[in-house]
Order: sequence, then C-alpha cells, then structure tokens
Amino acid sequence: MKAKVTMAISIAFTALILTMVMFTQFKTVDETDITAIETMRETELRSELASWKAKYEEIEAKIDENENRINEYKAELENDENASTILENEVKEAESYLGKTNLQGEGIVVTLKDNDTRDIIHSDLLDLINELNIAGAEAISINDERIVSNSEVVLVNNTMILVNTKRVAGPYVVKAIGDKQYLQSALTIKDGYVDLIKSDGKDIEYYVDDNIIIPAYDGEQVLKQAKEYIEEEEEVKK
Amino acid sequence: MIYIAIILGCVIGAILGSFAPVIPYTYSSYLSIAIVAALDTVFGGIASVLKGNFDLKIFLSGFFGNSILSIALTFLGEQLNVDIYLAAIVVFVGRMFTNLAIIRRYYIDKWVKMIEKKKDVQNEEVENKAEV
Repeated sequence: MKAKVTMAISIAFTALILTMVMFTQFKTVDETDITAIETMRETELRSELASWKAKYEEIEAKIDENENRINEYKAELENDENASTILENEVKEAESYLGKTNLQGEGIVVTLKDNDTRDIIHSDLLDLINELNIAGAEAISINDERIVSNSEVVLVNNTMILVNTKRVAGPYVVKAIGDKQYLQSALTIKDGYVDLIKSDGKDIEYYVDDNIIIPAYDGEQVLKQAKEYIEEEEEVKK
Repeated sequence: MIYIAIILGCVIGAILGSFAPVIPYTYSSYLSIAIVAALDTVFGGIASVLKGNFDLKIFLSGFFGNSILSIALTFLGEQLNVDIYLAAIVVFVGRMFTNLAIIRRYYIDKWVKMIEKKKDVQNEEVENKAEV
C-alpha cells in the first residue's frame, strides 16, 4: 500500500511538472512572434544581437566623444571670449593710433599766425609736426584736422595750405597730445622751433593744457593696391 | 488511484503552466528539448508498465536525467556551434515511436485476443446448439 502511494505521488508529480512545462512552452510559443524569427536560427539571432550590441556600444562611444568635443568647444569658446575682448581692446588701441577716435589728454597747443610782414608757410607746419613727433606726441591736429600716417601738408598755388585735402587758413592752431613737459621743452629749447620761427619774424604762441581734445580723422583710409604680405613658411623636406 | 493521481497532476500542471510567465525565446528551445525527453520517458514508462517491468526509480531518473542531459547537450551544442539538439530529438522521438509501437501492439494483441475469445465462445455455443 505504501509503495503504491509513493508511486502515485511520484507519478502525479512527474505529470504535474511535464504538463506545467508543456503549457509554459505552449504559451511562450504562442506569444512569441515566431514568424519574424522562425527563419533565423538561434546562432544567427545571437550574432545579430552581438552586432547590434557592438553598434550600440560604438554609438555610445561616439556620443561620449561628441560630448567631450562639445565640452572642449565650450572651453574654447570661453577662451575665445577672452581672446575677443583682448582683440577688441587691441583694435581700439590700433584705432586710436590710426586716428579713428577722438582723443583727449594733456599736451600743448601752438598757434601760428600770419602777420603783416611774414606768412606762415606749409613747411613751418611740417617742421612743427616733425618736432612734435620727435618729442613724443601721440596725436597731432592742425585746425582740428587730425594728422595721420597718410596726411599731407601741402602748399597749393603758393596761396593755400591743404591738410587732409582740406584747406586750412591762419591762424593755424596745432594741438598735440603727449607729455606736456617734453613737448614744451622740445619746442622752446634754445635755437629750437620757437626761436627759429621768431627769428624768421613770424608770430607763434603756445600754451600747455591738461585737457586737449583732438578729433578723429574723418577721411577714409583704404588700401587698394597694398596687400598683406605673409612670409611663407619654408617646408622642411626630409 | 494512479490514474486519479495522473489526472490531478496534469490538471494542476496545466493551470500552473497557464499562469507561468513567458520565458524568453532563447531559452524556450532548451525547454522544448526537455519536454521531448520527458515525453519519451513517459511513453517508455507506459510501455514498461505494459511489459510488466516498470520501475519507479528508473522512470524518475530517466524523466529528470534525460531532460537535464538534453538541456546540457543543447547548451553544449550552442557553445560548439553544432546542433546537438537535433541528435537528441532524433533519438528521443525515435524511441517514442518504438514505445508507441509496443503500446499499440499490446492493445492490438489484446483486442485481437478479445475478438478471438468472443468467436470461440460463439463457436462453442454454436457447437453446443448443434449437439443439442
């Protein structure tokens, strides 16, 4: 009797497991989309899965790389912002040198006047400009015409003086920004410019000021023929 | 009593299996080969019952041992890239047919014997009537 019960239980257990597994499998087969994968063998599926995984990893690596690059660019951008402010300052400085901006500062104002006996000629102005430049003038103007690198001071028809292609007439007020001590002493030195002009019988007045305003050059400076020459780096061929 | 046990086991197993979660397709091939192995053992068991040499220990060890072995072989084949499960299926299904043949013959023999017995009885009755 006992053996029979054991056998019955064992066989019931076996039948239970078998049917359970079978029904699980039926359900699995039923719910899996076999038509899509039935033509593929498991190994193929496996290799496909592996390839997809590899692709995924590759793409992930690329994403990482791109993120790094973005961060790099961001850092560079910040640097660029710094660089751009520096460049802007440089540009402003260069513009000041070129005479594109109004300037103010300490300096000297020299006034040359025609008198009854002698007229002021253009070479007087040129000499004055040279003297001022030697004395370290940073900006010079004649009757508010800014003297820049391509400014001219010419006598036309022995009657009129042109500065920056504009006619200037006496009294000629020459302003110069720079170290006022240097400028003054450079002009008033013995046998200097002031003495020379006075000995010529021409009128000259000057005074130093702490706040001289020199306007910007209002002409155009265009380079039509000149181009920047860049020395080509010699390639070292081995 | 054994029949009741079998029916009970089947019903409970069917219910449990119906509520079991779906297994991944990758592993369902292992399960299917295990089912084939188990079914083979079941038919072998029935055949041995009919022959009269049924042994519970052999039946149970065959049931679980064959299932596990077939799963292991399938796994090995997967690793070796050889379809070993095909060999397992051939063997198990072949044996299932053999066992089914034994069962069929047994019942056919039984049936034939029954008919012959009936004929004998009829013949005897006819003879008896004739004698009478």
